[in-house]
Amino acid sequence: MPVDEKRVKLRLENISQSYVVNNKVFDAVSNISLDVYDNEFLVILGPGHCGKSVLLNIIGGLEKPVEGSKYLDGEKLTGSDKRIGMVFQKLALMPWKTVMSNVEFGLQMASVEKTKRREIAQQYIDLVGLKGFEKSYPSQLSGGMKQRVGIARAYTNNPEILLMDEPFGQLDAQTRYAMQEEIQRVWYQQKRTIIFVTNNIEEAVYLGDRIVLLSKCPASVKQIYNIDLPRPRDTIEPKFLAIRKEISDNTDLAL
Amino acid sequence: MEKIVIQQGIVLSESEKKEIRQNRIYKILPVVSIILLSALWLFASKEVLGFPSPAETWERFTQLLEKPIKALSLWGHIFVSLQRVFLALVLSWIIGISFGILLGWSEKCNALFGPVFTAFRAVPPLALIPLITIWFGTGEGPKVLLVFIGALMPVVVNTQAGMRNVNKLYLDVGTIFNATDRQKLFQIAIPSALDAIFAGVRTSASAAWMVVLAAEMLGAKAGVGFLIIRGMDSGDEALVLLSMICIGIVGAMLAVATQIAEGVLCPWTRKGSN
Amino acid sequence: MSDGKELKEDYKVEVRNLTKYFGGLHVLNDISFNIKKGEFVCVVGPTGCGKTTFLNLLSRIYMPSKGDLFIDGASADPRKHNLAFVFQEPSSIPWLTVEKNLRFGLELKNLDKKIIDERVEKIITLLGLQQFRNSYPHQLSVSSEQRIIIGRAFAMNPDLLLMDEPYGQMDVKLRFYLEDEVIRLWKEWGSTVLFITHNIEEAVYLAERILIMSNKPTTIKEEVVVDLPRPRDVADPEFIKIRKYVTEQIKWW
Repeated sequence: MPVDEKRVKLRLENISQSYVVNNKVFDAVSNISLDVYDNEFLVILGPGHCGKSVLLNIIGGLEKPVEGSKYLDGEKLTGSDKRIGMVFQKLALMPWKTVMSNVEFGLQMASVEKTKRREIAQQYIDLVGLKGFEKSYPSQLSGGMKQRVGIARAYTNNPEILLMDEPFGQLDAQTRYAMQEEIQRVWYQQKRTIIFVTNNIEEAVYLGDRIVLLSKCPASVKQIYNIDLPRPRDTIEPKFLAIRKEISDNTDLAL
Repeated sequence: MEKIVIQQGIVLSESEKKEIRQNRIYKILPVVSIILLSALWLFASKEVLGFPSPAETWERFTQLLEKPIKALSLWGHIFVSLQRVFLALVLSWIIGISFGILLGWSEKCNALFGPVFTAFRAVPPLALIPLITIWFGTGEGPKVLLVFIGALMPVVVNTQAGMRNVNKLYLDVGTIFNATDRQKLFQIAIPSALDAIFAGVRTSASAAWMVVLAAEMLGAKAGVGFLIIRGMDSGDEALVLLSMICIGIVGAMLAVATQIAEGVLCPWTRKGSN
Repeated sequence: MSDGKELKEDYKVEVRNLTKYFGGLHVLNDISFNIKKGEFVCVVGPTGCGKTTFLNLLSRIYMPSKGDLFIDGASADPRKHNLAFVFQEPSSIPWLTVEKNLRFGLELKNLDKKIIDERVEKIITLLGLQQFRNSYPHQLSVSSEQRIIIGRAFAMNPDLLLMDEPYGQMDVKLRFYLEDEVIRLWKEWGSTVLFITHNIEEAVYLAERILIMSNKPTTIKEEVVVDLPRPRDVADPEFIKIRKYVTEQIKWW
């Protein structure tokens, strides 16, 4: 996409986050500024566990940063916003609700009327390929299926930005590949801005239009990569492997 | 080489057959222990003076069916005890669950009522019997009150714990979807705490049963506890033993009933995972 | 594969016609393979290919319906043979320090104190854990914990070391580091290793031989020999060729 056509959807300015743990100050995020473009698939990649998840929580409004601000379509944001949806890593499907009930959840919170709710939720259940499982409980589903419910749920509120926090982290390698193809398909069919957090370099290069590489804690932006490969990408093709190696060499090791 | 037996199209090796044999033994063992217990009973009845034998107890049972005590048959007495229990239980659930939710969800309420409640909880309901008897006498009311107090504690404690242990992740999901506090309470916290609430309900059922018996033993005109006292007073050991057996069976049935209810009301706890 | 000329004593581990039914459900079907002493074999398969059942049979949690596992010619017995396991989640003992954790398996086998000291020192040096000797597992990261478990398993000098996706949930960069480390440990101790993974790249990176499992009823679809020099390069065309081939054999999605 030519540069002048890219519109900034989300802007982060000087975001920093610290915590007090056992009377010691722990810096998780250090002065991150970032522009996210409309309808792009942005991947945030980083070693270890701090930094990227915290950043995502801040964008989603689950945490308030000690410093910095965020702007959506130029408008300053505080806290959570309907226009930003989230898919959690630890599934966070409510075990006492059926698939349909879980997917409807956001609409229920927004007090959407029942038949309309069903209709919209069904649309997304079909989109992620779970038709027929509406009455099942999460405990009856496989890992990949549970993640699809999480994705459907996030889509129902029609968010403009979709945050995904290592959604495939708990899945085995092969299910993960299947889900990567799946999220790409869903994104093609219903284009949104996606901010996708992962610690898997191959996944990042497979999915991202751009990759933001974070340093290890305290996290700052180490480098931003533009991935110009045509989709769908081939993970064993030489150019792919070359980019992967470049990013891997640049990534900090967090033992 | 191994001998392979084909049973209805299923192939089993020696080692697997051994496993199956072992599992069968596990099923037989409970029956064995019941037989041993009965043997012990017979032995006791022969050796210990006055201890009624199984035969005598059974005879007393059939006698009781024909000749009621204080105008009530055995079933009548059981029914009276159960009646007291149910009334007190239902009250304790309504009040206990509400109070538990309040304590578990609101920091202010917890700070206000929490410490006092914890202190009060430490007093066993049986210790309150003398006080309640002095204040309220020995009618139906005070008995139900006593059972109510005994049943209330576990319900509140478990409900509160369930509410405090709601997984923060689910509340985060609520935040992302802009749920109001009220929505979070009713749509997320309470359903999430249902299994803890049920644990409280189950405990309260057995607690209630124990308290009602104690309350009856100390002054009642009907009920299973009363039967025990009657038996003791008139040297009718068979009646005492019979009543104890009934108490055990009814208690067990109550436990099973609450477990079935939980399975029905909380289907997600029973579904197998993949 | 075995041919008549090779002696049975060459094989450390033999699996013959391993079959398992659960009631009417046919999970594993006639699995046969051999592992030479000191060999590093990877097992890969599609999701849901009965690998858990396979593992449970090897670790004697269940007994097979037909066939068996033999170590040094005798039916595998956890009491007689030295079997070590590493699972997906670190299984360190929380109330023991790192050093005590490393000693744990060896002490259970009642080995001589001098031998235990020697082996534990070796592991600590190989893994670079000197400064964490007296720390507790919960003070370390998950990956460090897992490294300790792996070190502990190697230190036992097991007849067979079974590893079930030990690096499943880790950072890719970290994964390469850990994979290099396990190869280092393996070369140092010469243990016989059976490494189960879903990650085909990992399998090609680590294995001397790859066993490819089929869908249920699971059997060995194929054996692929990986004869690449170490350290291996994931971008090397030979590597890619083997990886592509194995992926084709498994691809279910």
